[in-house]
Amino acid sequence: MPEFSPTQYAVPLFVIAVLAEMIWARFKRPDAYEPKDTLLSLTFGLGSTVAAALLGGFALYVFIEAYEYRILDFGDEWWALWWAWPLCFVLDDLKYYWVHRAGHRIRWMWASHVNHHSSQHYNLSTALRQSWTGAFTFGFVFALPLVLLGFHPAMIAICAGFNLVYQFWIHTEAIRRMPRWFEAVMNTPSHHRVHHATNPRYLDRNYAGVFIVWDKLFGTFEPERDDEPIRYGIIRQLGSFNLLWAVFHEWIGMIGDIVRAPWKHKLSYLLREPGWSHDGTRETSDMIRESWRARTGQDSRTAEPVANRNPIAEHGEAA
Amino acid sequence: MDIPPLLLQTLGSLVAILVLAGLAALLKLGGASKLASDGDVRRAAGEVVDGFEAIECAAARDGAAALARDALGRIMLIKRHGNRFAGRILTPLARVRRHGDALEVDCGEKRFGKVLLALDDPASWQARIDAIGPA
Repeated sequence: MPEFSPTQYAVPLFVIAVLAEMIWARFKRPDAYEPKDTLLSLTFGLGSTVAAALLGGFALYVFIEAYEYRILDFGDEWWALWWAWPLCFVLDDLKYYWVHRAGHRIRWMWASHVNHHSSQHYNLSTALRQSWTGAFTFGFVFALPLVLLGFHPAMIAICAGFNLVYQFWIHTEAIRRMPRWFEAVMNTPSHHRVHHATNPRYLDRNYAGVFIVWDKLFGTFEPERDDEPIRYGIIRQLGSFNLLWAVFHEWIGMIGDIVRAPWKHKLSYLLREPGWSHDGTRETSDMIRESWRARTGQDSRTAEPVANRNPIAEHGEAA
Repeated sequence: MDIPPLLLQTLGSLVAILVLAGLAALLKLGGASKLASDGDVRRAAGEVVDGFEAIECAAARDGAAALARDALGRIMLIKRHGNRFAGRILTPLARVRRHGDALEVDCGEKRFGKVLLALDDPASWQARIDAIGPA
């Protein structure tokens, strides 16, 4: 089977699409882009491909070794099994959901994934803002069940490549909503804007790659509301366009916390959610959402204040 | 001469990146958001830290930065970052220096940088920042 990387072939399309969105922004939303931010995001993208080429060997080695222990054998001509491709794509997307969710809920993984979220803008250049340090996390482990099931690592890599290419176009504010049936099943610009938001209502929601159904299935779906402007980025915005700081800031912060923490808490700074602290001086996304709920009386899953959904009060009248 | 494919691809991508970033500047994308009123500062402060309700604000005359105080006595430094805003609640690590009617505020975080604000009432804000103690 020839070597094939969907993302490499898609690069010219990425460039053309970013250019087209910039022209749209020029006439409709000049603030949607910021030259320094764009430069930083695109440099992130370039660096991530170099990092993957230099550091991806270990994961590949593990996959090839693991493939020897596969449960099912699709034969030497595994690539000719037409049905294996869509099946692999769907299962890889399910894997993506979980690796992505872990990327937001485990600080070790967040240290790498935060790179993708650190822009305060949301445009097609943000899609290319990919991490340089993914190889230093354990994200690849999530793909091992697929390898052990019998899917060849190359098939998984190609499906993952198409998954990544799909996710490019949803990083835009130029598209409000797709047709209803599409929004119901697929990840869309609207769903993914929610994912990049720092509004308490939207924190740690919509982890999907291609199919939004995973979020609906696992209880992390949140629809975008038209009455609440989205703020993009991270809870503690960088306030700097320094590339190296943008790449490594969370690693530096995490390692510093581990060094300073009492022994019994060190591992928690590695494995617990971002924002967790042993002395309660910081806030996790759950804590921020809870404070917001308490302050506003709103529930993130509904448009109404919590009190309005009280089943006892629902049909009653004020005393 | 044989150029490794990865190097060739990297150089090609680098050229594309510089062209796109240059175009963003050429098309005058971005612009400079301003904190022109107390309302702007309050909104920005509430975005920096959800639930931060400023009861007193001071926007720099150029609209590029601001200070805000909430009922708990917390002081927030806000600065323009690109065409968005970023901020920090000041801690005992914060340092402030007076330059005429301007304050140079250092939140203590090197990469956030020092922020210069020309204010109408720099003395009172300087005193408040100097008085920040442990939470």
